[in-house]
Amino acid sequence: MISAFSILFVASLLSLLLHRTPWLKVFSLFSLIVSMFWSSSSVGLVGFETTEFSTLFITVLQIVLIALVLHEKNDTTITQILFIGASSILLLQSSTLLSFIISFESLSIISIVLVSHITNEEEAEGAVKMFIASAIATGILLLGVVFYLMGGGVLESGIKSASTPFATIGLFVMLFGVFYKLTIVPMHSWAVDAYALVRHSHAAILTGVAKTVVAVATFKFFALFLAEQISFSLPLLAILAVVTMALGNFLALFQKNISRILAYSSIAHAGYMLLAFVAVKSEYASTGILYMAIAYIFMQTAVFLALDTLRKKYNIQTLDELKGLAKKERLLAFFFTVQLFSLAGIPLLAGFLAKVVVFYAVVDAGLWYVALIALLNSALSVGYYAWIVKHIYFDKADNSNSKKVTIDSEKLLRVSQTILLVGTLYFGVFASVIFQV
Amino acid sequence: MNPLIMIFVPIVLSGLLVLFFEKENMFAKYIALAWFTFMLMFSINLLDQLPSTGYLDIGQFLSVEKFGFVLSLQVDHLSVIMLILTSVLLLLVTLSSWTIKGSVGYFSLLILFAGPITGVFMSTNLIWFFIFWELTLVPMYFLVGVWGGERRIYAAVKFFLYTHVASMFILLAFFLIYKEAGTFDMTLVKEAMLVSPVLIWWLLFIGFAVKMPIFPFHTWLPDAHVQAPAPISVLLAGVLLKMGAYAMIRMVILMMPEHSAEFSWVLLVLGLITLFYAGFMALYETHLKKMVAYSSISHMGLVTVAIGTVSYSGLSSAVYEMIGHALIISPLFLIAGFLHHRTGSWYMKDMGGLMQKAPYLSAIFVLAGLAALGLPGTMGFVGELTILIASIESFGMGLIVVALGSMLGAGYIIWTFRRVVYAEKSALVDKSDFSMNKVEFFALILFAFAIVLFGLFPSILFDTINTAFVSLSTSGGAL
Repeated sequence: MISAFSILFVASLLSLLLHRTPWLKVFSLFSLIVSMFWSSSSVGLVGFETTEFSTLFITVLQIVLIALVLHEKNDTTITQILFIGASSILLLQSSTLLSFIISFESLSIISIVLVSHITNEEEAEGAVKMFIASAIATGILLLGVVFYLMGGGVLESGIKSASTPFATIGLFVMLFGVFYKLTIVPMHSWAVDAYALVRHSHAAILTGVAKTVVAVATFKFFALFLAEQISFSLPLLAILAVVTMALGNFLALFQKNISRILAYSSIAHAGYMLLAFVAVKSEYASTGILYMAIAYIFMQTAVFLALDTLRKKYNIQTLDELKGLAKKERLLAFFFTVQLFSLAGIPLLAGFLAKVVVFYAVVDAGLWYVALIALLNSALSVGYYAWIVKHIYFDKADNSNSKKVTIDSEKLLRVSQTILLVGTLYFGVFASVIFQV
Repeated sequence: MNPLIMIFVPIVLSGLLVLFFEKENMFAKYIALAWFTFMLMFSINLLDQLPSTGYLDIGQFLSVEKFGFVLSLQVDHLSVIMLILTSVLLLLVTLSSWTIKGSVGYFSLLILFAGPITGVFMSTNLIWFFIFWELTLVPMYFLVGVWGGERRIYAAVKFFLYTHVASMFILLAFFLIYKEAGTFDMTLVKEAMLVSPVLIWWLLFIGFAVKMPIFPFHTWLPDAHVQAPAPISVLLAGVLLKMGAYAMIRMVILMMPEHSAEFSWVLLVLGLITLFYAGFMALYETHLKKMVAYSSISHMGLVTVAIGTVSYSGLSSAVYEMIGHALIISPLFLIAGFLHHRTGSWYMKDMGGLMQKAPYLSAIFVLAGLAALGLPGTMGFVGELTILIASIESFGMGLIVVALGSMLGAGYIIWTFRRVVYAEKSALVDKSDFSMNKVEFFALILFAFAIVLFGLFPSILFDTINTAFVSLSTSGGAL
């Protein structure tokens, strides 16, 4: 049975044979491109189905994975990227509770395997935090499943309606387990260290890819249930969303370390995504989360990959070391700036339209004051994004640390950044592709 | 010709220039000049094609039916006037920055600015309007932040954040409009909205008041004006503030006339406060460019009063004053910037006796200053007089106080002449060299020429402006 999933799954196994050969990257790219032709095909197992919604997101995911493979130099990571692609497709196509849990866990496990590629103490700290958080998330998720089953739910279908209070509680517990992965406050504290300390290219996969996939799949899976429980879920999720974005944005303002700023910005974006869960009654909510996810997967992956290059080349970690980058690295500075502006929600970039749709969904659901808070948060976030850009373009470089390590295959890095930039620009102007879904 | 070219080509072009040109390249300014000339021709061509009333539809693009998200481009007299003003100012700004350093970056940002500003005046879809509205901030942020004065970074970040926060109110208002009216098309909103919540009016008012700027939302402007390089101050005063006033007329007054009539006292009171507060601040300032900046805010207060009348004559005079203000304040900014560049000082006490060293420059400075205080025969007089008449018509004789604003203007302008142009020659002026680049001087002459021309023959402008509001006059002046 040929499907995008099976191609990527087989490719990830076969790629093990190609480690330490120059063919690995070519083979991985080839398999990703081939799998794009089958992005609308179902996994082919019981409990999985395709929708236009999942197909569009899977296509975008494959494009981003191509960019990631182009950027990556580590053989193990390339194999893991393919595997993450396969399990993301599983998660996005899952339609029953059983398939949702299994694919969710497979994505969790592969993320942990990914960060366990440890070379120094910092990375170890990040990886351990991530591991513990994942374990807790899994535990809570399973606890919720057990409650749900005891309350009369079944594994072999999607969540339709929770018949008993016990089942309802079970579903909310499950949701909170998932929120660990989505870094919703107060389940966020592991994320900052994990994202900031592990290798930046790994962080790109974790926050850019894995988190977005989980957000989209969770929305798809829980939307009906949340709409049914609106009287309880709406105030709860609205408060969580507001707190998440406010905390993420405020704490980001005080960071000196670029990766920590971006980690907090990732938390803030989780808050924006949660707004779609809040506005679930609105017809724009599903478009909103899809738009936010697509925009976010491009821009967040791109900024972390750019940061990875900067780290390798100049060992840049703090804002001060970023000074005068525009003179040294004209092209990379340009890529980085555009993606930061997209994260900040500057128009003609995907991040802006994503926010427009999500925030409008909130207004449409009748919560204009929540939308106002979200908008002001978004304006606040410009504070730190513009501050990073200020260091890149306005400040003169300190001459003290101008060490430069030459890295090979710089062309591939540029191609990878260009792919992500085109994605950000395309979805910043052409919205119809997403609205058709 | 596809009108999208006017919006998206500059954006792409500026990206290409930055990426593929070296840091200094003499062709950059010629490319900018060519593009702005093309833009001017395009706008004048639009003016020819305009129907006598209503909108000229120039196309619908990138349609997303479900969300009402269509890039619909329509122009009427008001927007074409603003387009012409913008392209003329961009041309003159290019001439005025003929000798700037880091030319490729600078001119590509100017070209980048030309794209979204065209979009602002052409788009009738609220979301696309907002997209272009916000996008103008980006080139301005870099222009102030890279080419600005000593505290440029503070000014750039403050400008960016302050106006961005205000824009969020506008965006929320647009969302509420879509929820009520089911359309983002600003030409249809008025009819489509059955009930228009007061909240929308206030959100829009605050959002646009920041850009205009109206007291107490003006605090970003003095910083941005003073720190920006002189030609960019011209753009800020001549285009960005006008964008705010344009949006105030189009989206607050014309789109929600009932609420505007109800709250016209807000515009009136805040406008008068802006007029006098900024006037007194200008009187108090000894920093030359800050004085000009406050004088600019003071004039925008006058425009606010005129808009607040919500009448045919008031809006016409407001638009005339907007154009007049753009043309009058620009040479003042340019000369202030030039004097700083040559003497190294911003303070008036260091600049005495300019007349003896640089008589031609001083003459233009005096002419523009006199126009700013409303000397008959210049644009300032016509603008202030028509606003005075219109506001007295609407609010009664009490509004004679507007004339006091002009008197205040006379105070700070003439006192500035006393200190800068005619005072005894200061040592700093004596040893400075005031020879100006010919192209940059030519730009100043053009400004001076325009001030007198449209001052003596205001009908050239008023014929077009009045057509913009003709639909109001047929309904007896009321909306």
